[in-house]
Amino acid sequence: MRDVPISNCEREFLLAIIAEKKRVDGRQPTDLRQVKIQFGSNFGSCEVSFGKTRVLATVSSEVAAPKQRRPNEGILFVNVELSPMGHPSFEQGRQTEESVELNRLMERCLKESRCVDLESLCIVVGEKVWTVRVDVTVVNQDGNMLDCASIAAIAALAHFKRPDVTVKGQEITIHTSDERDPIPLSIHHMPLCVTFAFFHQGKFLLIDPQEREERVTEGKMVIGMNKHREICMLQVTGQMLLHQDKVKQCTKMAFVKVVEMTELIQEALANDKTARSKGEKCGFAMSSEKEINTTVSPAKLVEDVSKTDLPMSSDSDSGSEQEMVEAGPQERPVGDSPKVVGKGVAIIGSAAVKKWEEEEERVKGDKKGKKKKEASVKEASVKGQQSRPQASAYF
Amino acid sequence: MEVMETSTNSPCLAALTCVLGDLSQADGSASFTHGNTSVLAATYGPCEVRMSKEILDQATVEVVCKPRVGLPNCADKYRERHIRDLFQATILVNLHPRSSVMIVLQERQDDGGLLATSINAACLALLDAGVSMKFLVAAVTALIDKDGNINLVPEEKPSDVEASASLTIVFNEKDLQVMGVTSSGKFSQEQYDRSVSLCRKATEHVFKFYRESMERKLSKSV
Amino acid sequence: MAAHMDRIVLPGDKISDLKESETSKKVVLGPGLRTETEDVYACKPGVLKFKEPNVYWIDTHQKRYVPVKGEHVIGIVTQKAGDIFRVDIGGSDQASLSYLSFEGSTKRNRPDVKVGDIVYSRLLVANKDMEPEVVCIDSHGRSSGMGVIRSGGFLFKTSLNLVRKMCNPQCVLMKSLGNKFPFEVMVGMNGRIWVKGRTNKETVALANAVCAAEHMTNPQIKAMCHRLADALAGFE
Repeated sequence: MRDVPISNCEREFLLAIIAEKKRVDGRQPTDLRQVKIQFGSNFGSCEVSFGKTRVLATVSSEVAAPKQRRPNEGILFVNVELSPMGHPSFEQGRQTEESVELNRLMERCLKESRCVDLESLCIVVGEKVWTVRVDVTVVNQDGNMLDCASIAAIAALAHFKRPDVTVKGQEITIHTSDERDPIPLSIHHMPLCVTFAFFHQGKFLLIDPQEREERVTEGKMVIGMNKHREICMLQVTGQMLLHQDKVKQCTKMAFVKVVEMTELIQEALANDKTARSKGEKCGFAMSSEKEINTTVSPAKLVEDVSKTDLPMSSDSDSGSEQEMVEAGPQERPVGDSPKVVGKGVAIIGSAAVKKWEEEEERVKGDKKGKKKKEASVKEASVKGQQSRPQASAYF
Repeated sequence: MEVMETSTNSPCLAALTCVLGDLSQADGSASFTHGNTSVLAATYGPCEVRMSKEILDQATVEVVCKPRVGLPNCADKYRERHIRDLFQATILVNLHPRSSVMIVLQERQDDGGLLATSINAACLALLDAGVSMKFLVAAVTALIDKDGNINLVPEEKPSDVEASASLTIVFNEKDLQVMGVTSSGKFSQEQYDRSVSLCRKATEHVFKFYRESMERKLSKSV
Repeated sequence: MAAHMDRIVLPGDKISDLKESETSKKVVLGPGLRTETEDVYACKPGVLKFKEPNVYWIDTHQKRYVPVKGEHVIGIVTQKAGDIFRVDIGGSDQASLSYLSFEGSTKRNRPDVKVGDIVYSRLLVANKDMEPEVVCIDSHGRSSGMGVIRSGGFLFKTSLNLVRKMCNPQCVLMKSLGNKFPFEVMVGMNGRIWVKGRTNKETVALANAVCAAEHMTNPQIKAMCHRLADALAGFE
């Protein structure tokens, strides 16, 4: 289907407000949208949403022959599908530049970082190994598919359990889940992607760009990182030049986001586990039942509107906290020393981690009244509103 | 948050839930669950059609079924065809010549009755998109076990009960007539008739569910 | 016919007891209604509406636009093809816009239109069998507000339903927003809305307010506009 082009009017306006460090949806430049992780009732199915962007990941396994060059390793296969459901411009069964890029980035992020222990997937050396397949489907595209997909894929892998196998001489038995408990994969670390979109010759950057912001971006930088601060992948695309300080600055920001996300995934996994052990029902059927509403509930919209106040209220602040967005040539005392936080940069550096945790608790506390705590769903939204007074405490 | 759930006074039909208009890009969408089977449906249209699929005097109905895992196989292609033929007859295709109505179905979980759930999800998505239709359709799957008992698809996946035959029967709302039947296995004429009457009764609950979901949606937005 | 008013109908519902006009013994059926043999059926889901003396229609919630002759739409120019421009109006086909259908344009004096520009225009031809055509002049050759919009502002998309609501002169949203601060707005029946406040900040606030108003009741809208104005004033 033909794609609706972005008009000059939208383009100019978006670029203008980005230069004013504002965003159309009221977020701060480095804020994420609301992230939500849900698990299905089958092991290894996971749905992640970033605002309106939604991605479904499913992990499956089967026994196959290993690759000749690596006879004692299992195989991990990653496939990202841009389903026509996700966007009118996505066509069924057609490879586009976009889908190839997404596939390659996901492969690099998951396979080349060796986050899944492939040796433990070997059954008989040189003959039989497990092939683990991750199918990622973009169900709704509203920007930042990669970050969303990487969380979905790694969460699904961590959630997945393969059948147990016993080898007796030549005989291989695959046990059903009734006979023996299925075995989870061993995941060494969780590489997650963080995308930065750059505007105005790399002068301004946004985290978690929306679809329309993605359309006017000059270039993007993707950092794949785990919570141990190890970079698993880094890619810069687009027509722009970046200063090396900028790259360093971005990796620091990425680290904070990655820690936050990893915690979120682990909490969602833990919630799912407790729900299962209690014998509660879980899965998509249950989760959609719990938060069902045929349209957006008015209560949520009121929240949304109050959010629209944010870009305006942020105006009253002096530019201090927005400093970080600028390609700051000034030296920042950041890095290994965990105590030091850059000027107004509440989310850079290790000390900042503490702040995020506190804030998350606050957010949770705030929300308790409004939203039910769901068994398999944990929502964390980071709002500038709450972060601001705290951020100023660091100045 | 409200729960859109029925199974009201119908012990045999598993619980139904749906969320309408969940996806921002699609013109209409529904995430529909029947028991533990869950399907996500999105519709676009009437929109531009590819030249090769253009029909001069009516809209082309395109259906894409996405499996949970891997690439679409024969069963998915068969579902696509079945659903396409059904909605070609249901949508007022003459209103929008040389355009296309696209239905994309994503299987999220299959614990039995996937075809019926897909049809119902597609119908809800079309309702959400406001596509003109002659009438509503709904499908229910009946299972005939070895002893000849006829049951609807249960809430939990039947692990030990092997059905000897299964029938997915589609009805329209106007006169509750059969719109299509998909069967597998062996069954007698008498068993077929009983299945039809059982499914007919069950679809009334599905239609009621459609109405409740739409009323909930429209009471907010219109 | 109070029994019919504001009732929710789904496709295939039979509509009976329609009130005929006393003089002509006729009933006017609007969008979403069709006749089959002697009976009237709904073909879209929505609220059945009635207007004296004999007009019936269904108010549907939908996102996809189907062109209707005479409606004002906001299009995006996608292509320049010789004497005409191709304009995306959100329907199944792109509309065509002749370079001569601008105020004061002649063969020599061509209008300045670029790809990506937005045009506020009116549908001259809208027919299921024909390519839609839009024009930026009325029947007297005047622009009457239509034409290329190049004065900043922001364009966004909402449901067709909200747009129809906003076009109502009694619209609470427009009235309460208008009471709070001045702004320019252009509403296309194809679901596209262009707004411009005094500052970019206000434009963002306006766009969000309009989007949020979709599922709100009138008192909620009023309250929201109040809060919005307070927030804007408090930080200026």
